[in-house]
Amino acid sequence: MKSYQYIIDYFENSPTIIQVVWTMSGVFLIGVVILTIYLKYLRSRLRKDEKKVAEYKREYESDLITYLYAGNDEEEISAEQQIIIDKLRSCASDEFKRSIIVSKLLRLRNDISGEMADAIQKLYFQSGLIAYALKRLKSKKWYVVAKGIREFTQLRVKEVNDEIVVFVNHPKREIRKEVQLYLVTLFHFDGLKFLDILQTQLSEWDQIQLLEVLQRFDEQEIPDINPWLKSKNNSVVAFALKLAKIYNQFEVKDALIELLSHQQKNIRVDAIHVLSHLHVVEAKDILKNNFDNLSEDEQIEFFKMLENVFESSDESFLLAHTTHQNFEIKLLALKIIKILAIEKFVNLKNFSTDDDYVKIYEFLENN
Amino acid sequence: MSDVKKIVLAEDNTTLSLLLKFRLEKEGYKLLIAVDGKEAVELIEQHDPELILTDIMMPYISGLEVISHVRNKLNKQTPIIVFSAAGQEEMVLKAFNLGANDFMGKPFSPNELVIRVKRLLR
Repeated sequence: MKSYQYIIDYFENSPTIIQVVWTMSGVFLIGVVILTIYLKYLRSRLRKDEKKVAEYKREYESDLITYLYAGNDEEEISAEQQIIIDKLRSCASDEFKRSIIVSKLLRLRNDISGEMADAIQKLYFQSGLIAYALKRLKSKKWYVVAKGIREFTQLRVKEVNDEIVVFVNHPKREIRKEVQLYLVTLFHFDGLKFLDILQTQLSEWDQIQLLEVLQRFDEQEIPDINPWLKSKNNSVVAFALKLAKIYNQFEVKDALIELLSHQQKNIRVDAIHVLSHLHVVEAKDILKNNFDNLSEDEQIEFFKMLENVFESSDESFLLAHTTHQNFEIKLLALKIIKILAIEKFVNLKNFSTDDDYVKIYEFLENN
Repeated sequence: MSDVKKIVLAEDNTTLSLLLKFRLEKEGYKLLIAVDGKEAVELIEQHDPELILTDIMMPYISGLEVISHVRNKLNKQTPIIVFSAAGQEEMVLKAFNLGANDFMGKPFSPNELVIRVKRLLR
């Protein structure tokens, strides 16, 4: 008691600054103790949860395997399978357990194909898990909707197509991306029909992802891309141009030629690139006659095209552009002349006094 | 001595491992399961299996390192089937260069795997 009194007296007789320091030290000490206790509680709870998750994982894993091997030819659903379906159905009402069950189904569905994969999908329907994913589509939170769509993609659930297509023009980019991946992953080239109604921009990254998915499929017969080349959505046109190039769509050459007068420069440049790739000679004369009205990027792309489709009648045109102000055009013109009429190339070289030109000639001679 | 042929399966997807264990044990094989490459190497050294099934991407030691260990360190010609996911084509080529005998791209059919296992263990 005496020592307590001594501490109190000491505190009361101390200068204010010392009193403040002691008070703060006390507050911090209490804070540290509370935080330590809280962290210990948090850690033990996380460990408990981890243990619980591991237990549930083991349990559902074994249920899943039993379900997959419990089927027989006589019944659609065997008695053993029905027990598991009922169990999973009741567990699915708990969000925590449901997420574990779904993660197990998804992981296995990603790794196996054939009858077993079909059986996993059947279990997804029978256990009522599909209803919870459909409920997610009605959520106001965009990430919940996106995750719901992804679940359907991973489990290859084609039956919810109508519910998903309504999100094609959703304002949130992430949802649109999931919708596009769902349609293309499940319906392959037929899934690209969403391009007919797409009003928002299809980013370069979205396009790459779609092409990556499409390249996984064995069937490479693509639907008519003419309507997409004529789309009012420029990003759809850009994507259709990529499809035309990758899948060698020579039959759309008329639509490609029309794109040479598209309002957007990038599209015109890409159209020249695809026409060049497809060796559409008709496009050459159109571009040649309109050369002076083209932008510099289009002119460069046209010269790249000429490299593939040049004829002897192009000689005068090429000679006229050997002195073009753009280095790339100049270089390409000389490069083609070297192949088309070597004697003209040698003449140009011999009469040239400009050091820069001499360097170009030497480069072309050695390459 | 037992006639049952031993197979080491190295796969980090435990559900897939369990599924394949059931399927292959039904065909009369004894499955030894490893959840990562490190465990796989230990099981291979301990049990000298007749066949090895390994995923390419695994924690600690990859499938490629498992193949290299079997072929170069243990100097064994045990048949090896590699599992690979989409986009791992280069890894598959490396696996073949290291001495893998066959590969299956995920997702694969367990029935097809059984056929390949039987062919290699004939």
